[in-house]
Amino acid sequence: MFFGKREGYVMVDHRASPGLPEDVARMCGYDPALCREGKMYEAASLTCAHCKVAVVKNPLRTRERANCAKCGFRYICDLCDAARFHADYVHTPFEQRFEEALSGQVQTPANPHGLILPPGFTETE
Amino acid sequence: MAKRSFAAQNYTPAVTADNSILTGAIQGIGAAAAANGLLVSEIAEMGEASASSINGMVFRRSHVLAVGPTALASPNTDGPMNGLTAAAQVGSITYTAVTTTYPTPTNVTTSAKLHLSFNAFGGIFRWVAYPGEEWGIIGVTVDISESTLSCGFGTPGAMSSHIIYEAY
Repeated sequence: MFFGKREGYVMVDHRASPGLPEDVARMCGYDPALCREGKMYEAASLTCAHCKVAVVKNPLRTRERANCAKCGFRYICDLCDAARFHADYVHTPFEQRFEEALSGQVQTPANPHGLILPPGFTETE
Repeated sequence: MAKRSFAAQNYTPAVTADNSILTGAIQGIGAAAAANGLLVSEIAEMGEASASSINGMVFRRSHVLAVGPTALASPNTDGPMNGLTAAAQVGSITYTAVTTTYPTPTNVTTSAKLHLSFNAFGGIFRWVAYPGEEWGIIGVTVDISESTLSCGFGTPGAMSSHIIYEAY
């Protein structure tokens, strides 16, 4: 398990609450039995190295979870795993996009924030 | 940069579907410029409703960015978590209201989102990312940058929430 040490933490505390209906709990990836009235749900989360979505880890999953060898075998979500099989796929981890953005290499669309910076705001970086 | 806590107090979010313009009572966070980036490491929500309320909260990126975010007003806050850090906010924009147009949450299927639902009648929600596995916000490109904590479904009630992030 390459990503066992890279787990986040999710807590949904309904110990003093009526809790969530089963359909809502399932929609969010929670265990419905632990989101009812008087229950507390705790689970590990995994963050996709490509898109940064955080998913609640399903302990009952038997299918293999994907990881990316080019990202140090970090976890990638099912959607990003499927995208890797596209013919025109280009490996672009989130950190690469982050670095490109910070270095100014990426051309971004019109910048609405450029119009809304508060008076006196100065960029220092 | 240092970690900051962006907190919104006692608000009742309105249900807004993906690809629809938000109407208020949200927490919006984005980079100040194209060369800025943020890492969100924790989101917590505390229910304050007086009756059972399903808050279908979603942390999702914007398909159309906010235009005219207004400065935070009390009791909403955004400050450094370490008191020794300079209080100036650099590289990020945080808001709970706008003067011109609220953002539109993305409905792009390849854009990540976090479902953070809970019952606001006494419920508490908390998500913490492992260091290095944070939610990233890059520049001001749609669908991969500005993100909002808003309600996507349910019958929401009053709540408070905070987002802990670090700007670069």
